Amino acid sequence: MKQLHFITTHEDHRVALLAALAITIHIIESAFPTPLPGIKPGLANVITLFCFIRYGWKTALQVSLLRVVISSLILGSFLSPTFLLSLSGALLSLLSLLLVQWPFRHHLKYQPSAIGYALIASISHISGQFLVAWYFFIPHPGLFKLLPIFITFAVLLGLVSGIITQFLVEPYKALPE
Amino acid sequence: MTNAPGNGTIHFKGTDIIILLLAVLLCVWLYFSLWFGQAIGKADTLIVQIDDQSPTEYSLKNDRLLKFNGRIGTSLIEIKQGKARFIHSSCRNQFCVFHGWLTTPGDTTACLPNRISITLKGYASEYDALAGER
Repeated sequence: MKQLHFITTHEDHRVALLAALAITIHIIESAFPTPLPGIKPGLANVITLFCFIRYGWKTALQVSLLRVVISSLILGSFLSPTFLLSLSGALLSLLSLLLVQWPFRHHLKYQPSAIGYALIASISHISGQFLVAWYFFIPHPGLFKLLPIFITFAVLLGLVSGIITQFLVEPYKALPE
Repeated sequence: MTNAPGNGTIHFKGTDIIILLLAVLLCVWLYFSLWFGQAIGKADTLIVQIDDQSPTEYSLKNDRLLKFNGRIGTSLIEIKQGKARFIHSSCRNQFCVFHGWLTTPGDTTACLPNRISITLKGYASEYDALAGER
């Protein structure tokens, strides 16, 4: 019988390691109680941001998709509304990170640092979740009264995760990839 | 401020500060438009449901007083300047009266003992084209 041989590259190992980290953080975080459904620190996003800043959007996309799918499998919410919300948030936040980076792709000096990226990511994450929640699950105009609260928390928690990401990214700046 | 790796300081670049300012502005604008403004759209219809009868609609354009007979007595609903409220209901708790004015589409209140519920709808607003809660 012919054996299957998978040739894994260095990049694959990196993605696997970072995804494992992100999944661990995501699952630990899901055990904490939240004041309002939908508001949580989003510390797993730190790993996605780290990938985005250091390795580019492709690694970040792989890591965040792996995190969303695998942690939902572990938590038992795969293909449930929670999973859809998580997925839409992750995709929209990566998309908006790309959109912010695009105009400055040749001007490293003007690119935002981890804090700016984290703010963009957290705001777009909650906005994506909110739009999906409103469009598919609760199509009631009263839901929009909650949006300012969500965005306020997104800004505060985005700042926190941005500062954490900055501490994570800084020591690696001098090192080659 | 040096950029030495891991020296324990937080750096804000110019772009970060611009993003932070925009984020705070977005927050403030959202509070003003969604909590104090008319961003959700204007209500133009009051829907009254009594017991298990089919709901009836009343325009919010004309100010008027509506009187309904429910299970335990009468309820008085006032329509004024595009808003609606219970001003009297023959129930014990008076939750419906204390709810105050209904102002935006989707606002709902009910007098459960009297089996009367009222909801505002805005057919002109874009969001109600999708409303699927009824």
